[in-house]
Amino acid sequence: MDSFSSASSGSSSSTNDIMDQVKTQLAQAYAEQFLETVRDKCFDKCITKPGSSLSGSEGSCISRCVDRYIEATGIISKALFSQR
Amino acid sequence: MDPSALQSPELQNFLNQEKERAMINEMVGKLTSACWDKCITGTPGSKFSSSEASCLTNCAQRYMELSMIIVKRFQNMQ
Repeated sequence: MDSFSSASSGSSSSTNDIMDQVKTQLAQAYAEQFLETVRDKCFDKCITKPGSSLSGSEGSCISRCVDRYIEATGIISKALFSQR
Repeated sequence: MDPSALQSPELQNFLNQEKERAMINEMVGKLTSACWDKCITGTPGSKFSSSEASCLTNCAQRYMELSMIIVKRFQNMQ
């Protein structure tokens, strides 16, 4: 991708603007979707019987769950792309 | 914004690349969700047990294998 920006052909300030915008919007959409998924998964795992407030153990379950979900994402993409 | 910028091969190239990347991200997201449900049955711990970790890896690889088998199966039907 660096080769693009350095070897660009004059026209490119608006092309670069578009590319930047696309990148930002994609990253935002991806982050939103990821957040939503993690929220659902961890809600299922950690809030099994909703009480009148969030308990300490639910809170720590949520942090562990978020960390593990991120880790799982890494394991999956490694399994798909780094072997064979 | 200069509309001719939309025609630039540089931009088309970039968009194709991003499209591919988005497809890969979507695939990883979908598989993570499915394999999480299958492999992480208890409350999440402070690290994955080795059986959880290998279940995740196996799950992703079997999914790929399965999708190839299914493609072949459909090709044979024609």
